[in-house]
Amino acid sequence: MTDLAIHTLDLHKEYVVSEREAGIAAALRGLVRRQTKMIPAVDGISFDLRPGEVVGFLGPNGAGKTTTLKMLSGLLHPTAGELSVLGRTPWQRERAFLQQITLVMGQRNQLVWDIPAIDSFELNRSIYRLSPADYHHTLDELTELLDLAPLLHKPVRNLSLGERMKCEVAAALLHRPQVVFLDEPTIGLDVTMQRRIRSFIAEYNRRNEATVLLTSHYMADVEALCRRVIVIHHGRLLYDGDLSALLRSFTADKTIVVQLGDCSNDLSAYGEVVSCDEGTVTLRVPKGETARVTSRLLADLPVIDLTVEDPPIEEVIERVFEQGAP
Amino acid sequence: MTILRLLWIYLRVGVMNELAYRVNFFVRLFQSLLELGTALAGLAVVFSYTDTLGGWRPDEILALLGVYFLVGGVISVVIQPSMEGFIESVREGTLDFTLTKPEDAQLLVSVQAVDLWGFIDVLLGSGVLVVALARLGERVGGLEAAMFGAMLTAGIGIVYAFWLILATCSFWFVRVENILVIFQSMYQAGRWPVSLYPGWLRYGLTFLVPVAFATTVPAEALTGRLNTETMLGALALAAALLLASRAFWRTGIRHYSGASA
Repeated sequence: MTDLAIHTLDLHKEYVVSEREAGIAAALRGLVRRQTKMIPAVDGISFDLRPGEVVGFLGPNGAGKTTTLKMLSGLLHPTAGELSVLGRTPWQRERAFLQQITLVMGQRNQLVWDIPAIDSFELNRSIYRLSPADYHHTLDELTELLDLAPLLHKPVRNLSLGERMKCEVAAALLHRPQVVFLDEPTIGLDVTMQRRIRSFIAEYNRRNEATVLLTSHYMADVEALCRRVIVIHHGRLLYDGDLSALLRSFTADKTIVVQLGDCSNDLSAYGEVVSCDEGTVTLRVPKGETARVTSRLLADLPVIDLTVEDPPIEEVIERVFEQGAP
Repeated sequence: MTILRLLWIYLRVGVMNELAYRVNFFVRLFQSLLELGTALAGLAVVFSYTDTLGGWRPDEILALLGVYFLVGGVISVVIQPSMEGFIESVREGTLDFTLTKPEDAQLLVSVQAVDLWGFIDVLLGSGVLVVALARLGERVGGLEAAMFGAMLTAGIGIVYAFWLILATCSFWFVRVENILVIFQSMYQAGRWPVSLYPGWLRYGLTFLVPVAFATTVPAEALTGRLNTETMLGALALAAALLLASRAFWRTGIRHYSGASA
């Protein structure tokens, strides 16, 4: 299995949670005897990643994405199942393993707040025992790719969220990890900064042939970076395969946007009217009907412009979550 | 020596961190001087009524005060800020970053924050010690100095292990800072030889909260009143507590990662 970057088989993780009913009496009973319950966060998922793959890891909140990432990065011990990353068992947290992975969490910071990022980088250099030559080489490259030069010497607290995230990502990659776990790396960032981080991840993957597992709520991230996606829900695997195939099989409808001179025509006979303003009507029609409806529209009405679009990827993924596996 | 290398780096970070807030230096210096002044005044008052206190002469108590400041300084330079940082990182989830680093997590956690101004107490304590030693004169020989070094190291080890055990509780209970506050107020009692206190309190300060080993025992070593049993006991306790705290830490990490469930 050493030719795989990541291997999981029937992976399980259960959490013990204490629970009690509402009210004082129940609270007092809870003091004496705790009622606990096992909650399965990850309930038997299996997947493999080849070295150099960039895979999107999707699922609604609470699906088990972060739990899986934590198991893969050695923070959590699986309840059951097989798990190996770069041929090693993550939870043993061997130095050789940790030296080759990294974890970026968009909602948590590792940089020291009051000092410039460059000093936090130095700290990581020392912890990872990087040689000065390697460190400076990587730092120069990251500085160039992420445009860090103006940020490195400012205290982290003075950086904007986006600037801080760029520094966080750089700090996590100074040791050139072969496996990169990204948990919501673009959360809260504006569109430009999201795009910046995204293209950087693609570039890092290309240059270092690193394996990347990415979770994100922004489908644009996933669309831009990942050909393959793994979808989980309630701790179970819903889909593992090409993003485009997933979209195709879940895109039952097409959207037709018709530009007419005015809005007086009632187009509900042609399909479901989604919106209608200033002479532009948006219709939703079943995929198979698209050609027929389009030609009827063109024949019947004084059409100025007409476009056929796929529904936004967010809508499709939402449908995947709702309906389950194809 | 990984520990020294890391300590040095975190010290650098601490220095840079603190220099961002320069006013702190004067506040802390003032605080420490005030505390030292009060303590010295207290000694002066006590010894204006008596020549010895529980068998301790003024200069010996002065040496004890030096040890008290010195060890208190070491606690506030690295032990206290690191353990507080650790508790906070458990609550905020940033401990995950520490655990994914290729270095012993206990080591990283234990030196992760250095409070520069704690050195004020280390320096003041050393100064008081030097004065006390000068006044004690030839009574302090090489043997006493070596024993003092050993007992000081053992005492700091015991205090560190004690803090680590308390802080490790944060894997199970969220609010453990309160327990740490109790230690700080108990530590104040270490300003006087524990033999002055009534039996139950002396027992508590020795075994429950090991203040006696941090201050009284090293001072006893310096003033030549340390018996072999106490010395061996301190060394054994230091070794046992360090091992126990390490084991407890590992249990905590296993609990944190859900491996014990």
